[in-house]
Parts: sequence; structure tokens; C-alpha cells
Amino acid sequence: MSENTELENLELKVNGVSYPLALEIDRNLSGVLRTEVGLTGTKEGCDDCECGACMVLLDGQPINSCSYLAVQAQGRDITTVEGLIDGDELHPLQRNILAAGGVQCGFCTPGMLMSAQALLERNDSPTEDEIRIGLSGNLCRCTGYAKIVTAVQATAVELRS
Amino acid sequence: MTTTELPIFNRADGPDKVTGTGRYAADISLTGMLAAKFKYAGIAHGKIVKIDTSAASAMPGVFAVLTADDVPDVRYSAVIADRRLFAKDVVRFEGEVVAAVAALTPELAQAAVDSIEVTYEELPAVNDIESALAEGSPLVHDQFDTYGVTDDTRMAANDAYVSTLSFGDAEAALKSADIVVSGRFVADASHAVPIEPRAVVAQWEGNKVTVWTSTQVPFDARNGICETLEMPANRVRVIVPHLGGGFGGKCGFHFEAHIAALAKAARRPVKLVFSRMEEFLAPDRRREGMVIDITTGLNSDGTIVARKAWIALDNGAYCSDSAFFPQMAAMHVLGPYKVPNTHVESHLVYTNHQPSGSVRAPTAPQGCWAVETHTDELANAVDMDPVEFRKLNCVGTGDAGAMGQVYEEIALQECIERAAAAAGYGQDLPENEAIGLAVGWWPSFPGASGSYIKLDGDGSGQIITGAQECGTGAVMTLPYLAAEQLGMQPEDFELVYQDTSAAPYDTGATGSQTLLNNGRAVQEAAIMIAGQLKDLAAEHLEASAGDIVLADGAASVAGSPDRNVTIAALAEIAGGGELLIGHGSGAPPDYPDNAVGATCLGDQGVAAWVGPQFMCHAARVRVDRDTGVARVLNVAAAHDNGTIINMTGATGQIEGGILMGIGQALTEGTQYSDSGKQLNAALLEYKLQTSADAPEISIEFVQINTPGAGPNGAKGLAEAPNVPTAAAVSCAIAKVIGEPVRQLPMTAERVWKTA
Repeated sequence: MSENTELENLELKVNGVSYPLALEIDRNLSGVLRTEVGLTGTKEGCDDCECGACMVLLDGQPINSCSYLAVQAQGRDITTVEGLIDGDELHPLQRNILAAGGVQCGFCTPGMLMSAQALLERNDSPTEDEIRIGLSGNLCRCTGYAKIVTAVQATAVELRS
Repeated sequence: MTTTELPIFNRADGPDKVTGTGRYAADISLTGMLAAKFKYAGIAHGKIVKIDTSAASAMPGVFAVLTADDVPDVRYSAVIADRRLFAKDVVRFEGEVVAAVAALTPELAQAAVDSIEVTYEELPAVNDIESALAEGSPLVHDQFDTYGVTDDTRMAANDAYVSTLSFGDAEAALKSADIVVSGRFVADASHAVPIEPRAVVAQWEGNKVTVWTSTQVPFDARNGICETLEMPANRVRVIVPHLGGGFGGKCGFHFEAHIAALAKAARRPVKLVFSRMEEFLAPDRRREGMVIDITTGLNSDGTIVARKAWIALDNGAYCSDSAFFPQMAAMHVLGPYKVPNTHVESHLVYTNHQPSGSVRAPTAPQGCWAVETHTDELANAVDMDPVEFRKLNCVGTGDAGAMGQVYEEIALQECIERAAAAAGYGQDLPENEAIGLAVGWWPSFPGASGSYIKLDGDGSGQIITGAQECGTGAVMTLPYLAAEQLGMQPEDFELVYQDTSAAPYDTGATGSQTLLNNGRAVQEAAIMIAGQLKDLAAEHLEASAGDIVLADGAASVAGSPDRNVTIAALAEIAGGGELLIGHGSGAPPDYPDNAVGATCLGDQGVAAWVGPQFMCHAARVRVDRDTGVARVLNVAAAHDNGTIINMTGATGQIEGGILMGIGQALTEGTQYSDSGKQLNAALLEYKLQTSADAPEISIEFVQINTPGAGPNGAKGLAEAPNVPTAAAVSCAIAKVIGEPVRQLPMTAERVWKTA
């Protein structure tokens, strides 16, 4: 049990939905997303900002949610991997990463997709090097990254046209 | 790439994984679930004087505290039964579990663990492989002789297992050789590092337990629970949700029984989720450190005439599946070469380190790195180009390898040519760049495996398989094999997999064997259903079953395509009568006769290989001489892995394997303190390759028909690409700096010091 048992009432806005919550103030965002909010797509691979599996967007900016306090995310738009799909329609990044073969075990995939989404939001025609640097905070042990980079390139082309 | 047109594969688990809806073990929550934490030894070697759990047991919210006294006193392991679930009397590595707690929250469980007091009489840590073998070394296991090892496979005090491989007369042939070259190579231990840290959830209902766990080998995990908790197999159900990578690190039986025992004692479901540090320290699985002394004799024309080698492998504190490592390491130090006279002595050595176990192609990357770096030195000694030297000495179709096995149909020579050509070997390069080329090999592992298939009344199919998907896509390829037999589409099938109570046995995602063995089982099950469909269609179409053809979703009479009925219509008929159910296992291909004339101590069955796989990688590397930093610019890979069924999956395995190999080459190595504790058990200090580090990779498959291969001529694939990359990088670095780096990983500091 947490040292600080005093609960803070707050509201988190995740994928456009508001969640009224009472939380200990030292809770990290990834833990709250995965338990109280109930969205387990955000993964925890290291709890140390080293692997990127917990990457979510905060007002469009990618952050490692394992090392971010939930209370700090109040009043901000939080986007998780569950927020990428549009109805039953996969986001082009989701569709293209599957088509390219960029998903193997899938554990890095949610964080990878969020970093890619943030990259494409700020740069609609990234070079291969820019993609590789943009994804370098997300470790993947399966793919060797090549097919993930291909998927981001294909998505950039698709979104521009 | 290959010129063969193959179907595009859609991963059946793809939508789960890209939408975040796929569940992994840590995502599971059950009503009343408690959190588990372990008390670890924290020291490398010590006698347990006293364990005091009274404070933990008294804490409100703590439901169970277990030590060795609370579970059956069972010693287990694959070959050498040398360990227990909880340390008893002695702790032998820092990550050994001494006690386990289940409590309301992870924080409370940790507080309870912290309150457990263990008093040790510290013992000297056996911290180095070679001194472990010296006379008078402290013993890691002082009661080894009671462990039931009957073979004469111990030469020195801390030997866990010794294998030798001998063929011809190495001693005499070395004496008469024109040129003799010797070298020593030392590889650090390293880690599998799946991005998903492991998690286990256990829940009891009556006298039965269900365990959800991140394992690559669900049946091994089940059997481990059965053995240690003394339960029959039919009361233990192991389910693997999606698995977040394994690379061997999640092979074997690890913590499933601890959590099942906690859940039983607490009378509540219990969940364990590892931190990254625990993932580095506690499992019985890391890649073994090795010391390799190698001596090779040549004729002046460059022909290899003899090889002697001495190998020591750091087994760590306990044997998981490691007893075959000495023989496997010996095979890799011999390599895919024609060596008429050999003698290799290979020791698996106990130390007070984390136990070693099968990590992606165990012993191969290190052995290949040593022998291929040595091979370039051999080529230099006779003034031959390393590629020409390999073409002269490597095995080809019809040749006998170092242990006398004759290879009926292999494509290693073509792999060498293709990798060299694709890398532009021989081109002029800047002074600080070079292309290194290395060959490697790896066996296929035949084994028992089973599958069911059912076609439901609506014509949709389910493959219920014992196979385990760790990300490679091997299980995702099974619908293709079923569809091919039934004239249906892969999309017509959904998979039920990695559930020990739903499906027959399979070895698991280990030894690159899923397609080889479970593919055979699925094909056989599909053939059974094909027979049922043909009988039904024959009746319906008033034809002979032997004349029925299944294609394009319909059964038709051969030569009269108008006389047809859809498979969906047949399935509907069957759904109201005799159901369409198939099952398959199939006899695995026989192992070849063990190498002719070989004399082996400690034979673990890996001196002759079924469906051997061959590969050649050429790596272009740039070295900064001022800093020692090496950067891999591109890698050309050419592989003989038999027929490729899923090209997307196959190239994905090669790309991932090469990047892991580059990590092993340059940055991935575990450092130990003087007291035997890991110094870099975190991802900042143990650096994996990122997308920004990854080189350009080109891949060619030389697809030939190998005797003993699996379905449609496929061999294993997942481990092969991990074998020769570090070796190719090493050969390139040696070319640039003029001297091989004799330690792995070849860190900037080591490269700089060597240069």
C-alpha cells in the first residue's frame, strides 16, 4: 500500500472519455490507465523510461506513462493505443504495420504506434532517418525495426495523399 | 529476396495486437486477486542459518508466506535434478527465491517481503569459470554425487556435465600439419530480454488449478507444476495469453508453481508481475558465458586437417536444460567444416551466477564468433582470401562434416557465394571499413506434437493446437497448411492455442520447431477431415470418394467440375450427423545414425542433425579508431532453411535475429562484481539495439529440398539468423584494426584496447 494514503479526486480524459477517479497522488499514469481506467493496451516493460512500451500521447506529445504521475495528466488529452481505431476502421498505422509484417509478439506495438503517430503529427513527410530517430525510444526485440519503418513510411504517403 | 510467389499472410492475432485489445498475462485480473512478491537471496553464495517470516505473516493484508518448508521437498530439472522451488539450506545465486508472499497489493506484498529476515553464513562465491575448475575451488554443489547423474561426465569439481567429441586422430594430425594456429576467445554471458517482463496468475477451483503464464513452453510449465507440487497433469491447466516475446528466456518451467502454491495457501487468485530488474536476475535463463581455446592444423594449400578445442561454459548455479550445451558448443566450435580429425572437450561449469538456459540458438553465436574469427586467422596464415578459404573447407552436398555425418542435400556453398555477392565483397572500401563474412549452422529438432481440427456446421474451421506462439508467426502459419489440404482459405480458420487442457502436447516455442513438428500434426489432422469431406461429397455427388477433388471451397468430381458441392454445404450436412473432426500428430523424422566413428562422452544427441540449417552473413562495419566504436552499416544474409512458407514471417525472423546478433557483437554482455552479482541488470546499462542503430539488411533464401525437413520442405528458422552475425561483425572489425577482438561483446573499450 502506498505511503501516502490520502486520495486525490481528479478527472482524466482518455481517448475523449472523462474518468472521475480518486487516486493516491503518487500513482503513475500507466498503472492508472491499466487498472482504474481499464485500458490494458498500454504496456509496462521496464518502469524506467527505457523501453517505450508504455508510450501514450499527452496533448499529442509522446510520454513514457510509467514515469509520469497520473495527477499531472489532469486537464490534458490522453491518447492510448485504444484511441487510434475509428469505429471498426483501423488507423492507417495499425493497418500498415500489419501489412508490412511489423508486428510479431506485439508487446512493443502499442507504444511504437503512439510514437509513430506523434512523429507523423509533427512531420508529415519524415525521411527514413527521421523515422528511425523518432522511434528510437521504443525497443523492439522481435522485428529488427525494418518492417516497422516501412509501415510508417507507407502511412506518411497514405496520409499525405 | 526469393523469386517464389507466396500468399500474403495475415496474422490471426494481428488485430488484437495493434488495437491494444489482446491480453497478455499481466493484463489479467480476477476477483479477489492478490499480488505476489519474492524474497531473493541477494547474495551469490551462502548457507541459510535462519529464515524469520513472523513479521510478514503478522501483517494485515498478507494472506500467504511460503518458504521451502511449505511445499513438497522435490528436487527437479531436465537432466540434473539440482534445484528446488525455494532455496533450502544454501543459496547459490543472488536471484534465487527464498520466500514468497501474497498480499492485497503489490506494495503490501513488497513490505512483507522486506520484513522477512534471513540470516546467512556467507560462502565464497564461485565467480569465474576457469577457477571453478581448479583444484580446491569452493563447490557450488557439495552434494552433487547424490543428484543421480550416472554418466561419467565429471572431470573437475564444479563440472555439471562434460561432453567430448572425437573423430580420427587430432593429436597426430596436428603434429604433421604444415601450419598450426591457436587462439583463445572469451564471451560474456548475455540475456534474452523479451520486452514483456514475465507474469503469472494462478487460480484454484476445488482441487484443480488454472495458471495463466508468459511461457514459451506451456506443457513444460504444466509438467513442472505437476512434478513440484505433486499433482496429476489433468488437474493442472496452463494457458498462455498473448506472449510478449521469449527468445528462449521464457522456455522452461520458472515461477508457475510458486504462484500456484501461493494461491492455494491464500485461498485466493494470485498474480506475479516481474520488474525489468527481476527479469534480468531471477529466471533460469540467460545466455551462457564461454571460454574457448581452439587449435587448428592446416596443409599449406589451406586444407584443414585437424582441430582441437577446449570449452568451458558458465552454467550458473543450476542446470535448467543446459546439459546438452557442452556437446552443442563443441559442434559450433567445429562448425560446418570438413575436419577429418577432431577432439573437443567441453565443460559445463557450475558457478554462483544466475543459471544459464536455452536462449535463441544456445552456445551457437559465441561458438560461431570464436571459430569464424579463428577461421579468418587461418586464411591469413595461408595467405588466402577468407571467402575462398571457406569455400575450400566448408561442407557441400555429399560431404561429411566434422563428426562424420554426410549431408545429402545442403546449400551452404551457395549461401557463401550469395552473401558475398550481395554485400559487394571485394569492393574497395574506405580505410576504416571492412566486410566480414561468417558461416554458421543449426539443427532442426524433430519431436512429438499434436493438433485437432474441427469444421463447424457453418463451414468455418478451428485449429486446436498444442503449439505456442511467441511472436515468430509460426502458429499463424498453421491455417495455411490446413487450408492447403482442404481447398479452403487460411482466413477460414481460427486458432485455439497455448492451452494445455484444450489441445494435445507440443514442445512449445523452443528449438525453432513449431512449423517442423506442429505443421506436420496440422497437416495430418487436415488430411483426416479431407477424407471425411470426400466421403460425404462422394455420397452427395454419387461418385467415388477417390475421384473427389477439394479446391476453391468446394468438392467436385475429377474431370467433371460441374458436379460439385461447396464445403460449407457439406459441413452443414455433417453438422446434423457425423461431425467433421480431425486429429494429427505424425511420426517425427528419424534422427540420422549418430556420427560414424565418433567417440563421445556425455552424448546428448546433438552430434548428428536432422534437417540441418546453414547460413552465411556478410557484415560491412565501420570502426572509429579513436573511440573504438564499431557501427554495422549493412548485413547481407543468405540462408538455407528449406522451403519458406511464410515469407513475411521468415524475413522478420532474419531481421530480428541479425539485430540481436549485432547487440551480442557490440553491446550486450553481463558484468559481474567480485562478489558474483550482476552490475548491469537494467536497460540503460545493458544496451539493446534501437531503430536508429539498425543497419540495412538484405536477405536471400536458397530453397532446396532437404531430406528430413518438415511440412512442404520447411526447416526451422527462428534461431538460425542469430548464429553468425556477431561472427561476421568480428571478422570485419579484425580486418579494420588488424587484430581480432578476443572478447565478446566487442565493446568500444575492447576494440580500442585491441587496436
